[in-house]
Amino acid sequence: MYLNRFVDGEGKYIDDIKFDNMLYMSIVRSPYAHAKIKNVKGGLNSNELKAYYTGTDHAMREPVLAIDEVSYVGQCIAAVFSENRYESEDLLNSVEVDYEPLDAVSSIDDALKKPAIHKGMKDNILDVEEAGNKFNERDINYDLKVSDTIFMDRVLANPIETRGVVAYYRDGVLHVYVSSQSVHRLKGGLMKSLNLKDNDIIVHHVDTGGAFGLKALLFPEYVIACYAAMKYKKPVKWIETRTEHLQSSHAGRGVRADITLYARNNGKITGLDGTVYLDTGAYFADADLVDMGNVIHEVTGPYFIENAHLTGKYVLTDKALNGYYRGAGKPEASIIMERMIDLLADKLKMDIADIRLENATEKPFKSPLGLDMNYPTKPFLEAALKYFDYYKLSKKENLGISLGVLDEDTAPGESCRIIVKNGKVKVYLGGDVSGQGHELFVQEILGNEFGIEQSLISLDYDDTDILKEGTGTWGSRSGITHGSVLMKTAEVIKNDVIKKFGKYDSDLLLKNEFNEYYYYKIDYNANSVNFNMVSSDINDINSIKIYVYYDLGKVLNLKNVLGSIHGGGLQAIGEVLSETLRYTDDGQLITNNIADAGLLTADKIPQYDIKIVENNSEFPDKAKGIGESTMIGIPSAFARSVELQTGKRVSKFPIDDISLFNKCVE
Amino acid sequence: MMVNIDVNGKEYKKDIEPRMLLVSFLRDELNLTGTHIGCDTSNCGACTVLMDGKSIKSCTVLAVQANNHKITTIESDDPKLDVIKQAYVDENGLQCGFCTPGMIMQTFYILENNENADEEYIKKNLRGNLCRCTGYKSILDSIKKAEEKMKGEISVSK
Ligand code: FES
Ligand code: FES
Repeated sequence: MYLNRFVDGEGKYIDDIKFDNMLYMSIVRSPYAHAKIKNVKGGLNSNELKAYYTGTDHAMREPVLAIDEVSYVGQCIAAVFSENRYESEDLLNSVEVDYEPLDAVSSIDDALKKPAIHKGMKDNILDVEEAGNKFNERDINYDLKVSDTIFMDRVLANPIETRGVVAYYRDGVLHVYVSSQSVHRLKGGLMKSLNLKDNDIIVHHVDTGGAFGLKALLFPEYVIACYAAMKYKKPVKWIETRTEHLQSSHAGRGVRADITLYARNNGKITGLDGTVYLDTGAYFADADLVDMGNVIHEVTGPYFIENAHLTGKYVLTDKALNGYYRGAGKPEASIIMERMIDLLADKLKMDIADIRLENATEKPFKSPLGLDMNYPTKPFLEAALKYFDYYKLSKKENLGISLGVLDEDTAPGESCRIIVKNGKVKVYLGGDVSGQGHELFVQEILGNEFGIEQSLISLDYDDTDILKEGTGTWGSRSGITHGSVLMKTAEVIKNDVIKKFGKYDSDLLLKNEFNEYYYYKIDYNANSVNFNMVSSDINDINSIKIYVYYDLGKVLNLKNVLGSIHGGGLQAIGEVLSETLRYTDDGQLITNNIADAGLLTADKIPQYDIKIVENNSEFPDKAKGIGESTMIGIPSAFARSVELQTGKRVSKFPIDDISLFNKCVE
Repeated sequence: MMVNIDVNGKEYKKDIEPRMLLVSFLRDELNLTGTHIGCDTSNCGACTVLMDGKSIKSCTVLAVQANNHKITTIESDDPKLDVIKQAYVDENGLQCGFCTPGMIMQTFYILENNENADEEYIKKNLRGNLCRCTGYKSILDSIKKAEEKMKGEISVSK
């Protein structure tokens, strides 16, 4: 079984890739949050390499090596190379940089008050975007309104394996090995950055030691390593240190929302408006658009609200850039809505479940913000409440609840290649494995489809050559896309057998050779809702109990699902209690190591009560995927459980209150 | 500097730089890449190996400090380690697998040093090993399963 490879220490991660004559790359980074670079001497710097790495040609995109100015601690200024790992670090001292420090901005609030950090801009607002229909409160039907600011500080992916790349230019082709969620996206990005043609580059997948959204992205260091590999005609390896990761990997969350809800006395919400600010960091990144888009289009979630309008403001700060973190805006949207609806319930002295039932719906609807909710949300909520006997339990325990949308985002689809040769079946999938146990369900599905032993089936490392197209980054939603494309490709192969021999049987399959590529197009996004409930005693970190009621369609592998819930559950708790990156007012990072970043340890495992319902989906494999349901639903429910006990409303994440769970915040 | 380090029962004599970390010695000099690096501040435990039976973070120990000592890594073929590995496989004690070698070596240490390690004890002794994927629950289950099996095997052999 595939797990054996990992327990034997035989995983092939990026730092395990070695070539003869390989150079190690180290990066000279800015110690200042904002400074003019008066001069830089030595190493590979922007005097030689001027390149960018965003997909969108935005005026405020970041050069891969700083040009004349640095705008965050950790920004790349120059690269040095040596055949010895330690020596390449020594060489960092050989680069001379002359700085003139400038004032820096380190938070959204700061940025709104202070002068523009970039020349040519009048303030720190990078872009503004609107969603929904603007309305005047005089024109809508409401009895009361509640307003609040919900703030979610930055959270960094912090996979235990940091970022890394090996670039090797051989026989006229640039081979790139990378710890990534999507080799196809990286290929596209690198072609654009370095002006390469389709046949000039192949990006290879290797084992990825955790990703959490971050490793879907292209980064400056990858471009620099590729350039150097072509220049020096030698393989070049760059492995990020944890310190570099904390400083310069693109971080998620960093969202402030000033929201007003308008409602009737019976709890029915009739309007929502406000402004959402996204901390973009020092430059534009492609991820900004996705993160912001998910927040402002999905805020109303499972509730039908007739009038809704949001303004999204992209705010520049002197910090590392914004990137994806688990859910990329979707958890933010849900946390904002769920925190607001609790506030409204308190104002109306209503039960938090009753108010949700009042706003959930029997029928599908399209929200004014653009979310197509094609799943009846009210019956689901009723069933979940009943299953856990909520009304009785809520009298005994400090319960928070949350109803969140799981938008499946399955478009545009995914690719697969199956090769049958020498009695073995090899599978290549377009979205890359980063710890979701794909190999387990590949064996399970194909074992069934082909009627053969699972041990004959293996999932191999794909690259952009063996699969011409691919999407990737499905993470925990891969059940849908991969399961479906696998079944389709298997069908094609079975048909090949039938065409050749007039019938299908597994012997005919295994005794012959077949090779098929299939791209399964999905042109719509289904969605569903999931329910989370959390109880806790704020004096005991081990008291936290997570209740989960998810509709996952057909479950492909229950162990995977549970693993996904347990992993996401702990991260969600961490996000509420302790996880973030902290900066001084002048933009110096004070989170110095991965422990400071607030990751929770093994002594903080919560308790779980998990119910999975299986309403089959429309997809060939009938799965729905679990997505980021834990990250979407748990934080707000947990926040509610805490505020019931402290009497202090929670609207800031992480809560960061040392009186809580005394054992946790040590 | 010349060192003589026993790794998984095999002696390695090498001339190395005095500043070389044990983890680099294992990975780069011996090509034993099962031991991983997850940080540069000795917080994550991905690099955990045993030195004379005690668990250490190989990123905080210089290779020269291991001179004339016995190192055990994930590549060792100790049968007890196999029991632990199988328990991780059975209980899905991993997802991306990156923390796994460190976790397994720490498990080895925990179970070797406390025949009756209860949940509390196990959790406390896992605090130096971070996992970002599993939420530790399946890891804990794996350790308990390994413990049971080891006990079972001991009583059978008695
Ligand atoms: S590599 Fe993180 S503790 Fe050694
Ligand atoms: S399995 Fe990924 S870090 Fe533990």
